[in-house]
Amino acid sequence: MRIYVDIMHVIQREENHAKSTRILYGANLSYDRLVKYLDELKTLGVVEEVDDHDDRFYRLTQKGIEFINQFRAVERFASAFGFVI
Amino acid sequence: MEFVAFIIALAIAYQALKGYRLTKQRTLWYVHFGFAVLSAGLLIDSLTGFLGILARSMRGTLSLTWIGYSICFLAQLLAYSMLIYAYVSQTRTLGTTSTTVALASLIGLATIQATPAQGIRLLGPLVEYHPIPEIILLFLALYIAVQTGMNYSSTKDRSAFLVFLAFLLLTLSHLFFILQPFGPLLFVIGHTLQLLGFVSLFTMLLRVTRKQ
Repeated sequence: MRIYVDIMHVIQREENHAKSTRILYGANLSYDRLVKYLDELKTLGVVEEVDDHDDRFYRLTQKGIEFINQFRAVERFASAFGFVI
Repeated sequence: MEFVAFIIALAIAYQALKGYRLTKQRTLWYVHFGFAVLSAGLLIDSLTGFLGILARSMRGTLSLTWIGYSICFLAQLLAYSMLIYAYVSQTRTLGTTSTTVALASLIGLATIQATPAQGIRLLGPLVEYHPIPEIILLFLALYIAVQTGMNYSSTKDRSAFLVFLAFLLLTLSHLFFILQPFGPLLFVIGHTLQLLGFVSLFTMLLRVTRKQ
């Protein structure tokens, strides 16, 4: 769960237009694991792949943006009580 | 006052449930369950209190308020215990935390032992606020206030402060309920502090759920 959220955070931080290398460093993952997780996120419909001038970018879908906003609210709520998610 | 507290407790329980559904974190389930039970207890207590006032001249008022308070006490006991369990299960420092809980329970039991005549009344007619259940709740709320205070001291986050303030106010409210035989004003102060505690929790809820 945490790793998916970290990947989505990185994509959002990159103004919702992130290259795989940026996600790789941002989420601190190996290339193989990143590909695996990105495929899973694409299957879930929260991340989509965009081809732009021979480069491949990733961005959050509307569903992904809603999820990450909800997750942040829950994270703040849990943190207020002193619980770590 | 308790009806407002009921709505706020329900809102907290709902937010915790949303969090649990999203993350499957058990601690959030404990928070949800604790506040859901607390809200049910507060609702029953406020309704029985209201009906008790309406039917003051009628027979059965005493048993109605007794049932209401007993349910509310049990709900608070369960809710605070669930929150304490959530802290214990997260920190996993069972050596220190369980000692604190055990100490709180021992102090509560020692108080009951020290007043044997009143100890029997624990299971007897609990009219309005009885000191012994309130002493138990005071120690449990104090434990949560200490935990949330420690969280605030490490994060310096405003939402964490609001949660700490809420449990501090709830602890003080239990103290005033214990002292209420010394004057009716203390009873009013206790209720006001309880309400302020829940308002503090509601402010935190609004802060964390607002869009950024």
